[in-house]
Order: sequence, then C-alpha cells, then structure tokens
Amino acid sequence: MIIATYVKHVPDAEARLDAAGGRIEVDDHAYALDGMDEYGVEAAVRLKEAGLADEVVALAIGPARAEAALRTALALGADRAVLLETDDELDPLAQAAPLAEATRACGAELLFVGGKQADWDSAALGPAVAEALGWPLCDWTTELRLEAGEVAAVHDVDDGSEDWRAPLPVVVTTQQGLNEPRYPTLPNIMKAKRKPLDRRPLAVPARVVTLDAALPSRARRGVRLEGDAATVASELARRLRDEAKVL
Amino acid sequence: MDFALPDDLVALQHAVRDFARREIAPVAAGLDREPRFPRATLRKMGEMGLLGILTPEAYGGLGLGYLAYAVLLEEIAAADAAHATIASVTNGMPQSLILAHGSSAQRDRWLPRLAAGEAIGAFCLTEPHAGSDAAALRTRARRVEGGYRLDGSKAWITSGGEADVYLVLAKTDPEAGARGISAFVLERETPGLSFGAPERKLGQHAAITTSVRLDDAFVPDDQRLGEEGQGFAMAMSALDGGRVGIAAQALGIARAAFAAAARHADEREAFGRPIREFQGIGFKLADMATRIEAARLLTQRAAWLLDRGRRATKEVSMAKLAASEAAVFVCDAAVQVFGGYGYSADYPVERYLRDARVTTLYEGTSEIQRVVISRQIHRENAR
Amino acid sequence: MILVVIDHVAGVPRRGALELVSAARALGGEIAAVVLGGAAAGPAAETLAGFVPRVVHVDDPSLDHASHERRTTALASVVADVGAQIVLLTAGRGGQAVGPRLAMRLGGALLEDVAAVRREQASVIAERLAFLSRAHLTVRAEAAPVIVSVKPGAYPAAEPAETAGLVTPRPVAYGPVDEAVRLGERRAAARGRVALEEADVVVCGGRGLGDADAFERLAVGLADDLNAGVASTRAVVDAGWRPYDEQVGQTGKNVAPRLYLALGVSGAVQHLSGMNRSGTVVAINRDGDAPIFKVADYGVVGDVHEVVPALRAALAGLD
Repeated sequence: MIIATYVKHVPDAEARLDAAGGRIEVDDHAYALDGMDEYGVEAAVRLKEAGLADEVVALAIGPARAEAALRTALALGADRAVLLETDDELDPLAQAAPLAEATRACGAELLFVGGKQADWDSAALGPAVAEALGWPLCDWTTELRLEAGEVAAVHDVDDGSEDWRAPLPVVVTTQQGLNEPRYPTLPNIMKAKRKPLDRRPLAVPARVVTLDAALPSRARRGVRLEGDAATVASELARRLRDEAKVL
Repeated sequence: MDFALPDDLVALQHAVRDFARREIAPVAAGLDREPRFPRATLRKMGEMGLLGILTPEAYGGLGLGYLAYAVLLEEIAAADAAHATIASVTNGMPQSLILAHGSSAQRDRWLPRLAAGEAIGAFCLTEPHAGSDAAALRTRARRVEGGYRLDGSKAWITSGGEADVYLVLAKTDPEAGARGISAFVLERETPGLSFGAPERKLGQHAAITTSVRLDDAFVPDDQRLGEEGQGFAMAMSALDGGRVGIAAQALGIARAAFAAAARHADEREAFGRPIREFQGIGFKLADMATRIEAARLLTQRAAWLLDRGRRATKEVSMAKLAASEAAVFVCDAAVQVFGGYGYSADYPVERYLRDARVTTLYEGTSEIQRVVISRQIHRENAR
Repeated sequence: MILVVIDHVAGVPRRGALELVSAARALGGEIAAVVLGGAAAGPAAETLAGFVPRVVHVDDPSLDHASHERRTTALASVVADVGAQIVLLTAGRGGQAVGPRLAMRLGGALLEDVAAVRREQASVIAERLAFLSRAHLTVRAEAAPVIVSVKPGAYPAAEPAETAGLVTPRPVAYGPVDEAVRLGERRAAARGRVALEEADVVVCGGRGLGDADAFERLAVGLADDLNAGVASTRAVVDAGWRPYDEQVGQTGKNVAPRLYLALGVSGAVQHLSGMNRSGTVVAINRDGDAPIFKVADYGVVGDVHEVVPALRAALAGLD
C-alpha cells in the first residue's frame, strides 16, 4: 500500500512578520515544515515501519523554497517527494483539486493532512481534498489503526471524542496526541538529499483572495507587580477586581 | 567570495537550531540551579548525530568538517553552554585521537560508541600543577607485565565521573619531557580510577567537572594509543580542532546574550521610550553585534582552512581569542543593558555571563593564544 | 438567499446558531435555516421558526449521529433546493469539516473562521485571522456559492422575528461515500468542569509548575476557586501531566475568556496564538525574560509555588 502525506512550508513560529502595503512578508529563511504535518509524516512512516505500507510519498504545494519542507519529510522517513510548484498564494480549496490529483497519481490509498495550517490558520484542506477525491475523512484524529483494509480511529468531535471506521481509501487529518513525531536526525537529513524529488509546475485559480493584511498589536497594560508573594498577591487581587474588573 | 554557508549546511543548522530550542534551551536554567549531568538530552543529541560530527560515517559519525562542526556547536551553545562544552569535549580529543592514531581494533572498539553518544568521552591532560604548561604533567605510567600502572591526578576534567571513556595523558618516561608522554584510553570502571566531587564553578554547572585520581590503575597494552612518547604531539596536533569548537561555543553564548539584550532594549521603556533609542544603549548593542560578527568570520575562516588541510594555527588561535573575549564582553554588556534586572537570577543574562567567563580560560587561556599568535607572526616575518 | 446551518444538541440549538441568524440578517436578503436530524431535531426547527421565515428540517434519524460526508450530502441538497448563494455555519469541530466539503461539492469558495462577513455589490468579503492569529486579513470569495464558517461569539445572538416562520421537511438521497463511515461510541469530554471554549475565566498551567502534583495543587486549585476552566500548554501535555483536550494553542484549543491566568507558562508563539484574544491576561513565571510577559496585562516575576497560594488566599480575603 502507498501512503501519501501532505506537507506545508509555513513561517516558523518565531518568524518576524511584516505587513507592507497590505501583504504579509516573511523572510524566505524563516520557513519550516508545519508542525501539524509532522504528525502525519510520523504516522505514515510508522505504518511503513510496521510493514503495513510499502512506500510513503510526501506532497507539497508551494514555491521553490517549499522543497525544504519535502526534504525534511524525506529525512523523517518518506521515500520520495513531489512539489507542485507555484508562486501564487492559493487558498486551501484551490489546493484541493491538484492535491487530489497528485494523490491519485502516486497510487496512494491513505492520505495524511495536518489538522490545521499555520499560515492560513485553516482546517479546510483535509476535508476539501477528501471531497475532491471522493474519500471519507477522519479529522482531528488521535488514534489510528490499520485493520484488514480499514482505518479504525478515534477522533475529536465538538464535545468529546468518537470511534470512526471506514474502508480504504481514506483521508486522515492529524492533531497533537496522534503520535510523538521524531526529529529529523542529521544523518537522515544528509541521506534525504539523495531521495527522489519531482517538481511539477502548477497553475490554478484561487477561490479566495486577500484584499488586505495587517498586524494588529493589542496594547496590554504591561503592569509588573513586584515584592514578596503576599504583597504581590494582594495587589493583583485588588487590581483584578477594581482596575480590570474581571472578578 | 561567497560568504554564505552552503545550503546543505544551512539545512543541518536549522534542524539543530530547532532541536536545541525544543530540547536543550528549556532545561538550561533548571540545570544551572540544580546541576546534574544532562544524560537525557545528551542521549537525544547522540541520536541526532551531534556527538560524532567529525567522525567518519563508517564509524557511525557524520563525517562532516570543521565548518559544520563550528556552525552546529554554536547552535547548541546558544541554547545552553554546558551542553556545548560536554559535546565539544566528547566530539574532540577522544574521537579525533582514536581516529588518527588508534589501531583498527581500537577504532572499532570506541568510535562507534562515542559517535553515537552511547558513551561520553572525556580528556585528561591538565593537572593541579600543570595547566598552561601541560608538558610538566606528573601522572606516571609505569611499564608492567601486559600493560601499565598509572598513578597521579588530573584536574578540571569535564564530564569527570560521568563520562564512560577517558583519554589520559601520562608520563611513560619522566626524563624525556614532552616526548615522554603517552596516551591511554580508560573505561570508567577501571579499578584505581576515581573521581573527586564536582567542582563548584562560577557557571556551566551542568558540565560536571571533577578531579580524576589514578591509583595504581592497570591499563593493558591494547589501550595505549599510538607509540610511547607520542602522546603530547598527538594532543597538540588536535588542539586546533578543539579551539575552533570553543570559539563556536563562545559565539553561541554571545549570540544568546545579545538577542536577549536587543529584545529587552526594544521592550523596556524609560523616560517615555524604548531604551534602544538612547545612544548609550544603541552604541553598546552596535559594539556587541560587531564583535560577534568579527569573531564569527574569524572562526568560520579558520574552520574553512582546516577543512582544506591547510595550516591554520594562527587563525584558529585568533578565532578562539576573539570569540571568547567577545563573549565575555557581550555578556557583560548584556547585563548592563538589563540594568538591575541583569543582576537577577530571574533573567538569563547573568547566567550567560557566568557561562561565558570560562571561555577565556580553558582550551588555552587568552594569554596562551597570544603566545601562539605572536610566535606564528614571528615565523611568518622571519621568512 | 442565505442558508443558515443550525447545530443543535438534542433539539436545543447551540449558542452559535442564533449568532449566525444575526450575521445573516446583517448580510441582508432572504434567509432560510436548515436543521439536520430525526424527530429529536424537531424542537430545534420549531425554535428557529421564531427567528427566520423558513426552516428546512431534514428529518432523518441517521443524521442525529452522522459522518461529515452524510451531513454534507444532506446540506448540499438543501442548498440546491433553496437556491442559496451564501451558507453560514458555526466554526466548530463539525463546521470545520463540513464547510470545506460542502464548498468543494458545490464548486464554490470557503471563507473560514471569520470574525465578520459583509457584501460589497456582488462580492462577499470577510475578516479573519491568520499566521497563528498574528495577522488580520480581509478576504474576498472568488467563486460561488460562498460557504462561510463564523467564529463563535463574533456576532450577538439574534432577537426573535415578529412573525413565525414555516418548517418544511425534506428527505435526502445518499451516495456510497456517505455509507462508508461507521461511527462508534461518542464519549463526552470528561470532568464536569467548565468547557474551555465557553469559560469566562481560564487558568492555564505550564511546565514551570514543576510536576503533575503541583499542577493539580496550584492550577486546578486556583481554577476551582475561580470556577474557571483548566488549560495546559503543549509542554504539559507532552510531559503526560494533563490530557490533550485541555491544551490551548496552535494544535489545541483557541480561547478568549475575560480573564486568563498563565502559571509557569513561558509563552511560546504557538501557545499565544490560542489565547491572545483573552480580555485580561495575568502571567506568573520565574523567568522575567519569558515571552508571556509581552502579552500580559499583569505580570509577576516570581515562584509560582509561593505566588499562587498567596493569590488564592488574597482572593478568598477580598470583600
């Protein structure tokens, strides 16, 4: 069985954002593999290590620098990678059809997508590509087993969790708790340079465009309370009641 | 001239930066307050490949050069100086000497364990009365049936009592000065090998440092490295690599201190504005940044020369001198930028200063570096 | 025509449902609501008839506990029926999956997790956050119909309409993907504690608390005093002290309570993105350089083991 795992190259959590003329600018060097996608890569690689899959293919949509995210996925254990290359900022729905096509093209029966993307703050890609593929979706997955051609999982719902089962092919979106992702070790990063990575040009229209972007900064009081614990505590309690009026 | 690091190295640097931020930085302050040898993080560093950077892949290392070594060690040090010290010692003398001078059996026996971080290495040269004047060491290795008996004491040994493998320099021929020194590899459990209590140092508390005692410790022939009398020359030839590592460590500490000071100067307000707007602070930050950049360029150039097999003794000493003195300057200036908070253990800069202070003292004091540089200058001028 | 998707629990509309009605009214135009579920959903449909002129009740008991695929098919048929150009859903765990599937099914666009939505001539424009809640974007849909998932709390709950609306039933035909998923037992998130996303006050404990016992004593103790929700950072969950459903941050929950107390929390960006919209933030941490202090209204640099018990005493002693 072939497993595909989608990875996104997003601004690092520590990256500086600049809003210049209504666009968010990030230094090209401040990007990294989206933390949410790590759970998917880890899940796919573990299934391969358990002998339940033959190959893990990492897929990405983005500009040339997104290759770095694919190299990280290869260092984490993926066997090969495909970059659908475009400089356009595509919303998740616009990405869904090309991603679905790439998934079908590599012959995968299971696709992992990160539960939420750290640039769009969006949870839409997983469901959208599942729809484009016509496959069922297990979202916000916290436990996953492969049993006789079926995915048996536990996933989050609005007030708790629920058991979920469906036969392959299936799309799974990930979240914290699904597994503990490994680090890409330096030897594996060096080996990953030699694994195959295909680049294919992509041109699709966006379904949502950004008209304006800003970085609002919320002014906080920034009050520092000093003194021994008892003094600080009584002043804090008083201020919360009288100044902030939250008690 | 392309000053940019190669892309491949940048990928490794980012991976180590991320790892250090997640695994090493969060434990640094706690280990400074309640010191213990950081076995758990060292194990993870071993899995990452960070404890065998220079050792060839055939022995389980990364087989990378000194430029990579310097870049990666700087990342570790920026997260925590103590982890960088332990890493640079185990990466350094033990592995480089066993690799360069060990027999095939000796290389197979120790290199894979050290490179993987399954064993931590220590280097025992310094003695209570022999620091800068290392050749004056007194630890004795007497020839006996099948090996040697070692007697003496070593001082200021990083990872003392915690390391698994100890590279010990001892005199096989007390009459022959430096040429009477031989190198031996001992496992921690060797009878007669014992360790003092951890030294109470100013900083880098988790880099447990102890004295090491040898009381009639038996070392078999197959644990002597190279020929008798070659020990000192072996160690001296490996000095440059170790010094590049310490230069990189000093840069990492300086970088962390500078980043904290720059952030603070942006946030802290006095007289209605962020303090970075005052020239007193702005000039300080400019000086700090300039010295770090200068030291980094020296360090990277020295590493680059070593990677090309070129003589780099002067350049390495310049790098170590510049980086360590820059680190002390930058950390002290960072405390000043923080004002009263710089003196408080609730903020990291006082720890950076305490950690940085030893960088001008070990791996050759600043005075020794100046001796080396002046001698090299003299040799160049004498031609 | 705007179609509003009503989430309900056993016939009682969720808090977000009436907020969607407000949003629909602000957009202007004809409004219809859709309720999915068997007879148990009937009361929800009746309630909504007091707010909108037309309510479609897809009366199918399998929809009481159904997969996203099944719900999508049901909604798609209603969208086609009423000729909706805009569909509003609440952005929750359910809406997050159904919204995109529905938009793809209909060949439209998705405006996700919006704080506000409006029409400008023929366009639908919305305001939303991105980059781990650090950036504020204004976005426009470039395809139709437009599916909009609305952030809970972004709009006020609507007032009832003057005239009662009509409830019409509607059957659905399902496809193979809708039959593929077998859902098992649904387990409610434990604890009997205030649900995090709806709590007025949240106490969050971080790794700086030291261990699970200290978390219980200090964070849970303080939360009990304040009748607050209990939250954790990723570090705490990774360490195994607390379950991940308490986690606030990028890979966990987003909360915006009136008061957020961060105990021993360092303030990594991933965590801040989940709580930075809180009304008042209090941070207690022994590291004065910790990033959490940048977003704190009140900061205490000190030992949580001393400050938190003192705070509990001080709160108890307040008049």
